[in-house]
Amino acid sequence: MALASVERLTYSYPGAAVPAIDDVSLELRPGEIVALLGSSGAGKSTLLRALAGLVPHFHGGRFSGRVVVAGHDTRSARPAELAGTVATVFQDPEDQVVMGVVRNEVAFGLENLAVSPLSIWPRVEEALGSVGALHLSERRTVELSGGELQRVCLASALALDPSLLLLDEPTSQLDPDGAEEFLACVERLGCAVVLSEQRTARALGLAHRVLFLEGGRLLCDAPVEQAFDWLGEHHPAYLPSPPAEPGGVERADAIWRADGVGFSYRSGSPVLVGVDLEVGRGEVVALQGPNGSGKTTLAKIAAGLFRPDEGSVWRSGSAGYLSQDPGRYLVREQVVDEAALAVGGDQARALQALERVGLGWAAERHPRDLSSGERERLGLAAVAVAEPELLILDEPTRGIDPVRKAEIADWLRAYAAAGRGVLVATHDRTFPADRRIALGVEALVGV
Amino acid sequence: MRLAPGPAALLLAAAAVAALLADRVLPLAALTGVLLAVCLRVPGGRYRPYVVATASSATGVFLLWPLLQTTGLHVLWEGPVVPVLGLLDVTQEELLLATVYSLRLAAVGFAFAAYALAVDHDRLVAAAGFARRSALAVALATRLVPTLERDAAGLAEAVRGRGVEVAGVRGRALLLSPLVAGSLERAANLAEAMEARGYGRAGHSRAPGSRWSDWDRAALGAAALLVVAGALWL
Repeated sequence: MALASVERLTYSYPGAAVPAIDDVSLELRPGEIVALLGSSGAGKSTLLRALAGLVPHFHGGRFSGRVVVAGHDTRSARPAELAGTVATVFQDPEDQVVMGVVRNEVAFGLENLAVSPLSIWPRVEEALGSVGALHLSERRTVELSGGELQRVCLASALALDPSLLLLDEPTSQLDPDGAEEFLACVERLGCAVVLSEQRTARALGLAHRVLFLEGGRLLCDAPVEQAFDWLGEHHPAYLPSPPAEPGGVERADAIWRADGVGFSYRSGSPVLVGVDLEVGRGEVVALQGPNGSGKTTLAKIAAGLFRPDEGSVWRSGSAGYLSQDPGRYLVREQVVDEAALAVGGDQARALQALERVGLGWAAERHPRDLSSGERERLGLAAVAVAEPELLILDEPTRGIDPVRKAEIADWLRAYAAAGRGVLVATHDRTFPADRRIALGVEALVGV
Repeated sequence: MRLAPGPAALLLAAAAVAALLADRVLPLAALTGVLLAVCLRVPGGRYRPYVVATASSATGVFLLWPLLQTTGLHVLWEGPVVPVLGLLDVTQEELLLATVYSLRLAAVGFAFAAYALAVDHDRLVAAAGFARRSALAVALATRLVPTLERDAAGLAEAVRGRGVEVAGVRGRALLLSPLVAGSLERAANLAEAMEARGYGRAGHSRAPGSRWSDWDRAALGAAALLVVAGALWL
């Protein structure tokens, strides 16, 4: 018997001209792990929200068809009533944590479900233990890393003992090790899991079944073996790919150089020690390394946002820096104004930059009306519009679908080929680059 | 030994009050030392900003007080005459007062740091008997302030990364509206996540607070004793 069924679901957000989900039908069985794939804006998050009852209750909009989860029709059952049967872990852990201390956070959902007070703390401990986070129990949530916080969110969901766990790109904010640990926890669960994920290799590795959405329509619903064949034929970018080989472009004149650079934050030990690095015109250089190895710090030094404590840096020409999660840091009321900020309000150049990232159609819209993937592209356009000699990007592929990632890589290659330099701080080993620099505390190693 | 949030907060408040009431150097130094030790036990170096800020403020008071005051007869050092300030000198009495005031400041600062770093505020508010919604509002406000700080820094950095300087009141005002918009967006996301976790459902329970141990009761006694001792003997 199906744990959940979706029957001819069509749903449009308020004011939207086209449906986010278009005539989707499927069933979910107890205990199965389902990978939900598709590009940004394909409707993955909306489908998960429909299964949790958040669509339509929280978001409003036009809803037709039927979603039934464990016997509850979501048209009549509110999300809070489905909580416990269904649990959801969202994309950004920062946006779902309520309490100040980890154990209180995990207890929050249990308190909402009126679980017997005497069984709350044992269930909290069990849930934290199941995701390997028991040691975090007394820690403050504001002090946890993204990976730790996302595991706490998973524990909060598991504490409810759900029959259906919905994971909406839960690893998009995590480094590869954090994502690996998180997904390893998911693999050990006994409940049904629907996992929306852009790191398709790992998701396909643990899924029993694959759903593929495009434009709100369900194009593929198949066991994982058959899904591999379907993806190979229709969307090969979603198949696991090996780490990219260095491109091997010959280095021309240096555009930026660091000699013996050291840096410490005020309250901590040194992040960078004796770093020597050069970025040449025409090349894309990828900075790699685990969390805390100083990738972002070095990128900010290259952009002139930080000054090194030791050593010297030299740069020829201007630099532009795109921070992590740029969609959060948009400051204007219109997309075109956002893109024009770096060029003194020159709208013609801004429109060209928007066209280059496929956002010309959105010029008059408010940046916060765009989807997360579109905001990422707007962030890129807003930095690249000034055509800086050195373009520095911090984790530009985080949460980006494989097709869009390939497009960004091609675009950066073309940008560098015009005689400029590109420095990319990334965890993504499949991101194409001419040189890869492994950044650690001890040294810089070309790989 | 780990104290329940209520007794821990009361003990720290009592220590701060005792420090403000006390005027003898040795007991003040001992109290300050104990509070510093409590801060230093917090793992992960989180105490550093608190301890550095408190210690540098207290040091500032100790260094400046004798120069700004004209008290005492036992002159230890006599310096030049400075316009506005007059004759710079340091007396034994001024040094003693500077020590007392700087130790008071340090003790209060360390007590606050220990409260901020080591007390479970969620459970403290819940134990105080506030309605659950009010307790949640306090917890959320406490948690979201650092997030807001990070967002503000991120916005400024994103704009500077595009080669646009954020300077002056006008430059910062540019960031105010997106900061508010970002906070509202976070709030909407959080509300959605809370509803998905059953918030708003009819009926709820509350995780039991830890039962008070003998240490907790002793802490309450010690808190009362500290205040009395501070007022009468220290």
